[in-house]
Amino acid sequence: MISISSVDPYDILRQIVLYLFTGIGYFGIFRKCGVKGIWAFVPMAREYHMGLCADKESEGKKLSVITGIVLVSNFFIFAIDEEYIEVALLLAIATIALIITEVIFHIRILIGLTKVFNRSKWWVWPLWLFESITTLLWGYSSKFQPSHKVDYVDESVQVKELGTNLKATDQGLSVNIKERSTIQFFKKKVLLKDIHMNIPKGHMVLLLGGSGAGKTTFVNAVTGYEKAKAEIKIDGSNVYKDYSKMLYDIGFVPQQDLMRENDTAILTLSDAASLRLPSKVKRPEIHKRIKDVMAQFGLSAASGTLVEKMSGGQKKRLSIAMEYISDPSIFILDEPDSGLDGIVARSLFTRLREIADQNKIVIVITHTPDRVADLFDDVIVLAKDSKRTGRLAWYGPIKEAYEFFGKDSMEGILSCINPKDAGGEGRGDEFVEKYAARLQEMVG
Amino acid sequence: MDMLKIKHRGRVAQTRIYLGKFFRMFIFQNDWKVLPMSAVIAGLVSFAVGANLYKTMEGTLMGSFALACICIWNGFFNSIQVICRERAILKREHRSGLHISSYIAAHMIYQAILCVLQVFITIQVLNFMNVVLPSKPLITAIPVLDFGITLFLVTYCADMLALLISAFSRTTTAAMTIMPFMLIVQLLFSGGFFSLPQEAMPLTNLTATKWGLTALCAQGDYNSLPMVSIWNSVVKMKNIEYEGQRPVYEMLKYIEENDMRDEILMETGKQNQNPDYAFDRDIVIRCWKWLIMWTVVYVALAIFLLEFIDKDKR
Repeated sequence: MISISSVDPYDILRQIVLYLFTGIGYFGIFRKCGVKGIWAFVPMAREYHMGLCADKESEGKKLSVITGIVLVSNFFIFAIDEEYIEVALLLAIATIALIITEVIFHIRILIGLTKVFNRSKWWVWPLWLFESITTLLWGYSSKFQPSHKVDYVDESVQVKELGTNLKATDQGLSVNIKERSTIQFFKKKVLLKDIHMNIPKGHMVLLLGGSGAGKTTFVNAVTGYEKAKAEIKIDGSNVYKDYSKMLYDIGFVPQQDLMRENDTAILTLSDAASLRLPSKVKRPEIHKRIKDVMAQFGLSAASGTLVEKMSGGQKKRLSIAMEYISDPSIFILDEPDSGLDGIVARSLFTRLREIADQNKIVIVITHTPDRVADLFDDVIVLAKDSKRTGRLAWYGPIKEAYEFFGKDSMEGILSCINPKDAGGEGRGDEFVEKYAARLQEMVG
Repeated sequence: MDMLKIKHRGRVAQTRIYLGKFFRMFIFQNDWKVLPMSAVIAGLVSFAVGANLYKTMEGTLMGSFALACICIWNGFFNSIQVICRERAILKREHRSGLHISSYIAAHMIYQAILCVLQVFITIQVLNFMNVVLPSKPLITAIPVLDFGITLFLVTYCADMLALLISAFSRTTTAAMTIMPFMLIVQLLFSGGFFSLPQEAMPLTNLTATKWGLTALCAQGDYNSLPMVSIWNSVVKMKNIEYEGQRPVYEMLKYIEENDMRDEILMETGKQNQNPDYAFDRDIVIRCWKWLIMWTVVYVALAIFLLEFIDKDKR
């Protein structure tokens, strides 16, 4: 077995020199792609930025992690004493598997590079087998130019913010999100920023926003499922501080009908009731509640039917009933009308309106808002700003929203705030600032 | 706020809810199919290697290995898909207040009952096929109960390993891809059946097959059994001639004429005893402890992994 003492130092030196030499080629390629050239010489960072240049960020991340693990693993294989030969052997087997994976991801990225540089895929072979020489050619020959550069966010742009919390209301939902961000691959990504509103009880609210505007992130932040730098209060109680208790007061209905297909409707609801209702509620009360909710959602006739045999509309109503059974104060639904025709969808939203009228807050995400817009009290409009952060472009009554955006439909509003590359007018920043100014004026 | 003072159902109550759900799934879904499948597998194995089980050393080693394989197979198939197939549902329920420990506890109880039934079916099939089972008590007063406990522990350990794989995998396809790989590891590193280099022997401690095989051999008093492979090899060489004579044939003739064959077979066995398979209570207890230890490790890891289910991509 090889131990660290038996490793040829010249071999290591040769490998380092080769890595640095290849780095010179990538230095040129990175600069052409708009990436800092220095990353070409840093292990792991090079692999990630190769992915960026090749328009394959996800593969770049994976390759970077695998490269890191292989490096560490190689070190241990050589460092392990001969006494623990079996450990080194095991590690070596795992490393071989990782190296194969590394090669596959490397080739995927190289294919991406050929595409970005508008070259034939045959270039993958010289790029892979004679990487040092080929990258020099690609990096410094004017004949090799990328079709587009890495799309970085312009951090210098500042979109106006309210910058202060709204006073929380004692009755209803108070949302004061300062920021919701994630750290992805050493980079901070702000998903939501500066969102403030007070939603009174009894309101049914439409949550509108284009793809990637942060609708689900907003919902998750409000429910406490994914915590943000925020203060969320329901009737004055802090959701984040008492999440384990408050979660029963918030009903969230996901887009998909996530129920066990081989169970009956009544037993599905019964289990949901047992899980969500307080332990002091006695069996007869639970049965009564189940019966009432089944009737309210028009499911009484289908109570003994297996979920898999139910229609799309019935499944959706059962999914909603599972959350409604615990009588939550806030009810959030993610595209409850997906896959439903107009009449069934309208009937479903009418039921949601009835729930809101019971002094509850109902927030709904939908991609076909105009067919049911009249049933809503308010609309929350989220827009991506130029930093691709989800921002609040409007919260208020539906009619005022039409005036604010100068449009006569919800789809018109959506089109107005969507970025140009998503087929919209790209006026997100304008309305975010306009709304922030309006809010500032209101709160003084 | 009043709501903050309200108590909801705790872990034990949640376990009961899910246990009911799993038994319903057993009837309505295809989970019940693992029971007839275990009978079929036990029948096939009895037919193939049952004849010499607990009769000769070789037959016992091969048969015990096959029995351990049945258990691993049954255990793996019981739960390899149970979590990953409803991962999205589990995520929703976790969001609504489900404790992961309750969910896994319900699976543990449900799977334990399934494993007991499979072991019972397997033993019944072995009896039906006239396969010899251990006859001397070692831990309890009933030999077949000792045998059954070992089969149960191996099945349950494999079951919990499959549960861990199911908790780790995002999809059923991923789980079913990992399963054959884990099966190979279990079979290859059983330590008794395949000769492994000395360096690889510590790895055998990781497998349920090693502890199952060892316990089953010990319970069948492996070291008291005759060894027949050397005799069979010698018989094959009986016609070899040396300087016009057939010495091997002469030797065999002498042994048969003096009715010494069984004595020779026993003596061959005595010379090839394996101290690991001695008819010793401590050995069996040690095997059981290892199996329980791995079961606990797999369960703990499954709970740990599922606690992060909220991090799944939307």
